[in-house]
Amino acid sequence: MNCSDWEQDSAEFAEHLKVCEDCREFERNAAALRELTIAPVAFAAVRQRVLSEIQVRKRQAVWWTWSAVAAAACIAIVCVSYVLPRLQNPTSPTAVVAKMDAPKIGLTPKPVAHRVRHKSSGRSLAQAAPVRKTEPLAVVKMLTDDPNVIIIWLVDQKGDSL
Amino acid sequence: MADFRLKAEDAGQSAGLLDRAKTGDLDAFDQLMRANEKQVLGTALRLLGNLADAQDAAQEAFLRLYKSLNRLPDVQGIKAWLYRVTVNVCNDMHRARRRRGWEPLSGPEPASSQPDPELAWAHQERGRLVEMALKTLPEKERAAVVLRDMQGLSTREVAGILGSSEVTVRSQISVARGKLKKFTDRYLRKHL
Repeated sequence: MNCSDWEQDSAEFAEHLKVCEDCREFERNAAALRELTIAPVAFAAVRQRVLSEIQVRKRQAVWWTWSAVAAAACIAIVCVSYVLPRLQNPTSPTAVVAKMDAPKIGLTPKPVAHRVRHKSSGRSLAQAAPVRKTEPLAVVKMLTDDPNVIIIWLVDQKGDSL
Repeated sequence: MADFRLKAEDAGQSAGLLDRAKTGDLDAFDQLMRANEKQVLGTALRLLGNLADAQDAAQEAFLRLYKSLNRLPDVQGIKAWLYRVTVNVCNDMHRARRRRGWEPLSGPEPASSQPDPELAWAHQERGRLVEMALKTLPEKERAAVVLRDMQGLSTREVAGILGSSEVTVRSQISVARGKLKKFTDRYLRKHL
């Protein structure tokens, strides 16, 4: 055994202390620190602080639990009263078919006197604008759940939508 | 020498307390604290050198015990577990204190158990000197020397608590004892 490797309750230690002044001194110092007693009030204060902290945390846990339950209940109520009826019974849009004439475009040619010849293009407006044939269009109105939203579908005679 | 193994009667009683504490019984937890408070507060005081800080550390250690009650397998493990947590909490406080760069004012001094006032004073002075010397040690060496020389644990137990090998603990204690001796010698030469 050497000076740096003793343990207090070993039999060797007692023998070693008799001959080693340094270890005796160290043991006296360590014993002085070991023997310092802490007042019972200090222990009681720690216990009191721990118990009150636990109670505060318990109260907070209860509060959070009830808040979570309330939030879950609100979400459930919203689901039941709003979302579920729509999922079970969706309202289909209503289609109303009506015939409407298409607006007449480009049937009367403009007077020749007012024609302006553009040097750059070299073509008159009358020549440039194509004359469209007028054909009656079918209008399909689709009413949706929202009264402000109406889908209007214009269909020409051939059946192509515009 | 401290022994983590409890006598059969104590173990049975403590196991009952632990079971009751696990169900949220605060009286049982209070009894568990009473059974371990000397160990926790004493270690914290020796590691931190200040009663107010030691009380904070002990409070934190017991709160961690309460949070971990359900994870503790049996009552035999509580003492070692508490030592480990106390050392960790004290190290954290030391680091936080160093980062902030302040040293707290000393709280009320612990009293000596000596009946003779003169001897008590001498003991108290010696204790204060060792406390000052301990503050100069790195945290691992301080923890090793406090657990073995002040708390009276064996090298194997200290190694288990600090998560080191026995060889490392022996070397840390040897170095720490040398430093403590050097400090106290220098201090006494200067002041006497």
